[in-house]
Amino acid sequence: MDTREEMIVLDAVSKVYNRGRANEVVALREVSLTVAAGEMVCLRGASGSGKSTLLSIIGCIFPPTSGRAIIAGKPLSRLPDRFLTVHRRGHIGFIFQQFNVLPELSVLDNVTLPLLPLGIGPTERRRRGGELLARLAIDHRANFPAGQISGGELQRVAIARALVNDPPIILADEPTAHLDSRLSLEFLEIMSGLKGAGKTIVIASHDQLVTECPALDRTFDVRDGRIDVS
Amino acid sequence: MNSSLEKQLNLLDYALASLWRRKLKNLGVMGVFAAVICLIASFQFLTASLTATAEELLAEAPEIVVQKMSAGRQEALPLGYLSRLEGLHGVRGAVPRIWGYYFNETTGANYTVLAVDPARMPGNSRLLQGIEGSLPAGEGEAVLGSGVAADLELAGRSAFSLFRPDLSLKPFAVTGVFRPGTELLTADLLFTTPAEARDLFAIPDGLVTDLCIYVANPAEIGTVAKKIAALLPDTRVVTRPQISQTYRVIFGWRSGMASICLLAALAAFVILAWDKASGLSVEERREIAILKVLGWQTGDILLLRCWEGLVVAGLAWLIGCTAAWLHVFLLEGALFKPMLLGWSVVRPELHLLPAVTGGDLLLVFALSVVPYLAATVIPAWRAAIIPPDSAVR
Amino acid sequence: MRPALVFLLLLLLLGVVDGVLYRQAGIRRVDWLQALAPAAGVATGLGLTDLCLATEARYTRHPAVTDFLVPFMDHPGGLEHFPSGSFWAAPSSFQRGVRE
Repeated sequence: MDTREEMIVLDAVSKVYNRGRANEVVALREVSLTVAAGEMVCLRGASGSGKSTLLSIIGCIFPPTSGRAIIAGKPLSRLPDRFLTVHRRGHIGFIFQQFNVLPELSVLDNVTLPLLPLGIGPTERRRRGGELLARLAIDHRANFPAGQISGGELQRVAIARALVNDPPIILADEPTAHLDSRLSLEFLEIMSGLKGAGKTIVIASHDQLVTECPALDRTFDVRDGRIDVS
Repeated sequence: MNSSLEKQLNLLDYALASLWRRKLKNLGVMGVFAAVICLIASFQFLTASLTATAEELLAEAPEIVVQKMSAGRQEALPLGYLSRLEGLHGVRGAVPRIWGYYFNETTGANYTVLAVDPARMPGNSRLLQGIEGSLPAGEGEAVLGSGVAADLELAGRSAFSLFRPDLSLKPFAVTGVFRPGTELLTADLLFTTPAEARDLFAIPDGLVTDLCIYVANPAEIGTVAKKIAALLPDTRVVTRPQISQTYRVIFGWRSGMASICLLAALAAFVILAWDKASGLSVEERREIAILKVLGWQTGDILLLRCWEGLVVAGLAWLIGCTAAWLHVFLLEGALFKPMLLGWSVVRPELHLLPAVTGGDLLLVFALSVVPYLAATVIPAWRAAIIPPDSAVR
Repeated sequence: MRPALVFLLLLLLLGVVDGVLYRQAGIRRVDWLQALAPAAGVATGLGLTDLCLATEARYTRHPAVTDFLVPFMDHPGGLEHFPSGSFWAAPSSFQRGVRE
């Protein structure tokens, strides 16, 4: 019996965009899933299947239209935006599809962006960011503008930024979409290491390299807003 | 350090870095803004200073001036009015004056020719403090203001002539010049005796230009003025408080020049505000969406934009006001001076009393920084409510 | 050095410059008031009512004692003196006082 804490609980979650209007879209239909702490799972599905919406709900970016979503012990359904944001920054680390770093900022500044509104001073920010960059072997790029580094280094910057608040949950949306197989495997190795450190990891991807990663505990197939477990 | 203070410093750091990333544009905006503020502040400082200077210099102007009016215009006043006023209760003295304007056709300059018997004026003992030389007493004697002396190109000569109305020449001899430092009162002045002024303007005996009335109790000025107006209904009575009031309001914001300055400023602000409100670029929207996903709240984005606005507007205000100060008090308001003096040929030096109050600075702040911040807040709010999921998609 | 600190230092520098100017103005004001005595003596001794600023027209030279029609000269079509005339606000305040 799996006695680990349930980090992500979705129960009959639906998401409807533009409800009641002519361009109403049902992105998710009564999706239910549970992810335990320390698990690494994959949301597999084609473009438009609802993966990103599902990831956004898990990532506390917006609450579901109906159903129950409990992330790191907090029910999202009636949470105002302000509290969603607070909960998100304390518990979720996001790795975007296109990394979404700000190219004019330095690597270190990009990594420590989540720390600014928390009132953490420059010295402490440099320390935390520097440690993460060293762990990911890109501390030599700390003061480079993020727009001038390679794709593989960008990937590590994105990972470092996702980890800077030491969140228990890491979400990655199509992280290998713009990487070659070598870099993709490097990424999966890092994720595997984070899983070993106790992080809960959810990767949305239709890349075979990801879906067949041995470190994955489970894969959820997302199709037309519904989910199957395999 | 307290974390809320540290948070504000962090946001300020980010705002400054963001402004510096587009330094050309932002420095340009700040420069234009500072120039507009300099214009408004210069006008405010110049007029405040002129008002303060007038208050100081004209503090002992005649308590009441009586002029005769006919068909809405001033005309010569019969000397007989003097005896009717000297006996009025509350009046301690009445002095007739002859004065008018002499137009020098050669140079295009207007002189103010003033004639009064100084012995009859209260405080006459101080008159010589402002004159290098002696008072005019005899035939043809005159004391000149520095502007008149320069205009006549005396260059060491002490004799000159002016034209009477019948174009005959009236000779004058210079007995003194008004000292430097009195220019703001005397630059165009030609002070002579009443007899010489009558001769120059062909004013008959029995007529004067106006009467200076001195009152025993300054608190009674209004009362005495009303009595004079009742006694002499064909006169216009101007009191010292009215003279002060003139110089308090004359440079007000309803004057034409002020309206031009304000309109220019408003036009500039409209342009700036339009620039701010004309929508976010794709990069800006993306940046805000990313920040929100990373845990920045709507309030943090709003604060960030407000800091950006405050840095630009605040620095522009400081620089603009400093530049205005230097413009008005070191450069004598060089930008406004030609407009203030217009077509005048005799042009005094504008050594003005530095008189800037906190109220002047606040007024400039309210007219410049506040509208700019207001124009920043609305688009800032629009930016702050960008949904974070647009970064995820 | 963090940008906020640089900015605050810049503000401090501007504050110092403004403080120096303010102090200098204070000294200048004292000097000016001392130099005022001869001018005030002339104003009192001659009964002067106006500053000598713009000497091109009666109402710009003697705004305190000029009559209301002067800006329109002696002819209805007479033009105002520009630009100095645009510095002077309409003399609505003249209406108060004795005429009430």
